[in-house]
Amino acid sequence: MSVRVKLPSVLQEFSCGAETCEVTGKTVGECIKSLEMRFPDIKNHLFDRQGKLLRIFGIYLKSDGIYPVDIDTPVQDNDELIILNFIMGG
Amino acid sequence: MRGYTGKLLRINLSNRRSQVEDIPEQLMKDFLGGRGLAVKYLYSELKPGVDALGPDNKLLFMMGPLGATTAMSVSRIAVVTKSPITGCIAKSIAGGNFGAFLKFAGFDGVILEGKAEKPTYIHIDGDGVHMLDADEIWGLDTEETQMKLRQMHGNSTKTICIGPAGEKLVRYAIVISELRCGGRTGVGTVMGAKNLKAIAVNSSGPLGVYDSQQFKSLAREQIEGLRTSPRRIQMTDFGTSYLTLGFEKMGIFPVKNFQEGHLEGVEKISDEAFAKIKVGNNGCYGCMTKCGQERRVTEGPYAGAFSEGPDYESIWSLGGNWANTNLGSIIAADSLCDKLGMDTISAGSAVGFACELFERGIITKKDTDGLDLTWGNHGDMLKLVEKIGRREGFGELLGEGTKRAAEHIGKGAEAYAMHVKGLEIPAYEPRAVKGYGLMFATSNIGANHMYGRPREELAGKVDRFADEGKGKDIARNQIAQAVEDSVVQCSFTPATGLTPESRAKLLVAATGFNEFSDPAYLDLIGERILCLERSFNVRDGFSRKDDTLPARMLTEPLKNAGPATGQVVRKLDTLLDEYYDALGYSPQGIPTTEKLGQIGLDWVIEDIKGFVK
Repeated sequence: MSVRVKLPSVLQEFSCGAETCEVTGKTVGECIKSLEMRFPDIKNHLFDRQGKLLRIFGIYLKSDGIYPVDIDTPVQDNDELIILNFIMGG
Repeated sequence: MRGYTGKLLRINLSNRRSQVEDIPEQLMKDFLGGRGLAVKYLYSELKPGVDALGPDNKLLFMMGPLGATTAMSVSRIAVVTKSPITGCIAKSIAGGNFGAFLKFAGFDGVILEGKAEKPTYIHIDGDGVHMLDADEIWGLDTEETQMKLRQMHGNSTKTICIGPAGEKLVRYAIVISELRCGGRTGVGTVMGAKNLKAIAVNSSGPLGVYDSQQFKSLAREQIEGLRTSPRRIQMTDFGTSYLTLGFEKMGIFPVKNFQEGHLEGVEKISDEAFAKIKVGNNGCYGCMTKCGQERRVTEGPYAGAFSEGPDYESIWSLGGNWANTNLGSIIAADSLCDKLGMDTISAGSAVGFACELFERGIITKKDTDGLDLTWGNHGDMLKLVEKIGRREGFGELLGEGTKRAAEHIGKGAEAYAMHVKGLEIPAYEPRAVKGYGLMFATSNIGANHMYGRPREELAGKVDRFADEGKGKDIARNQIAQAVEDSVVQCSFTPATGLTPESRAKLLVAATGFNEFSDPAYLDLIGERILCLERSFNVRDGFSRKDDTLPARMLTEPLKNAGPATGQVVRKLDTLLDEYYDALGYSPQGIPTTEKLGQIGLDWVIEDIKGFVK
């Protein structure tokens, strides 16, 4: 499956400035792996040391939030994955 | 009157008299409520030069027009006074349940004046307002105080109180309702200076709104949206603890008193680590998010310690700032600060400041009552927190805040006091997000993260490392925060689910004031509030010279901070020029006559025109 991933600006520092990129995979997890292969520095900023997605990020598939993130969620050809960062304190 | 009760309770503690006043409708339309109304009253009633700890200072608690209704996350209370730590205007927003029940009792707010002759507490019930002897609760911690007041007045009693730190005038004492604090700027210190231990209220709802059908429909819409919102669910599950790991990677999480940006072992205090000892959730009145994370330490030297938190800022102030990754100690320190009744951010910063002085040999064990303030030595750090709250030994000095403590210590200690206008800088590295630098520098209450955070930079829409081009955004965000604080809504967007448009609809349905339907009208109110706060400070001699950051941020490249390594706030002057220009202030940071006239503050012109250069 070919899937478009939209990156938040804070991750674009590690994607050579690219706002979106095309990846391949059958699930959300495979698509993220494909993203990491393409831009290795993203991995260190998207995940913790145990390989879990940092909670300052959220993944949306076709505008539906996936929470908790289920990396086994299947994707379809031409789907769009959106990674957003949730940053606020108080 | 709907939405508002339209009534203000004024209590003079010196002569033990109280009176109920009407709040003019035009004031509600001009200042909205909460922070806005409180700032208006304080500005009008306080003369310049008043001693923050003297009887002439006033302490205001003020609710907003949506408070105590069925809408979610809008029942917080604004606490406003002149700050004993900065000498500026002070505002802090408290959660809990006191505010809603104050409104059920018939009051949008309370103004406290004078000073009680001896320790006193106030009880408000259906029979009126009673000023009572506080002998039985003076000296108790905040948990004991609230429990005792429930025993005395019934289990339904809702309270806001101070702890021993407020009684002993630690300059950053808090007010607390349940376990929710009005945490910053020393509002609890002012309450202690007035010899007032607590306000307790017994009352019951509901409160009417102007258009109940429309309001009900809008509130239901809000609740439905929140029910399925992933961001709301995450907030319920983790509170703000999820920020720690992400911010540490981005270089935003300050370590060792802002010396660097990397914390070895940070995963030990991650959201996952705290989640392992979570035992429940708690929230403010009328909130379905319940972001409060109840946690109990299960093993080690701090086994049994319990707190509703810590939130991100306290994980930083009692953890990363001390190079401390002992999770149990952070819970214990958080609990200790709450019980003693002092701000975790300022208390944690004061300890971090002392640790750096200890590291550099500026102070030794002779100065610290024998405490070993080596980074990460959490046992002795907790002892120091206790000493601060009780103002014993070395804690007496640190209870004055880092600015005053540094001036007293001398020997170059001033360079390591991380404050703006005397208020300690919270958990966001200004060199890693330069909008934070500008926001902290220009904040009228000193360095506080709840004064208009740089949303655009945090979202990555604006380059966080750029040295220029942030003045307009920060001005706009400070205005937006002033509106939020006047509603008085929770500042966690995921907890309210409100947009400016949906909030405007709720405000109109609650009050019947059609003016509130226009977000631009609300922005004008926000700008008016911000400008009035600045004018309050200007009358007391504050200006551009005070809108600055510690030299460390301006000259010392940030170390070991991932992508933020090497960053410095290089062009603060340029940023200040942009900010003043965006708000119509003079180059000295003083509102111009023209601007004051434009935003309905003509009556302020005479007060400050002598300061405009």
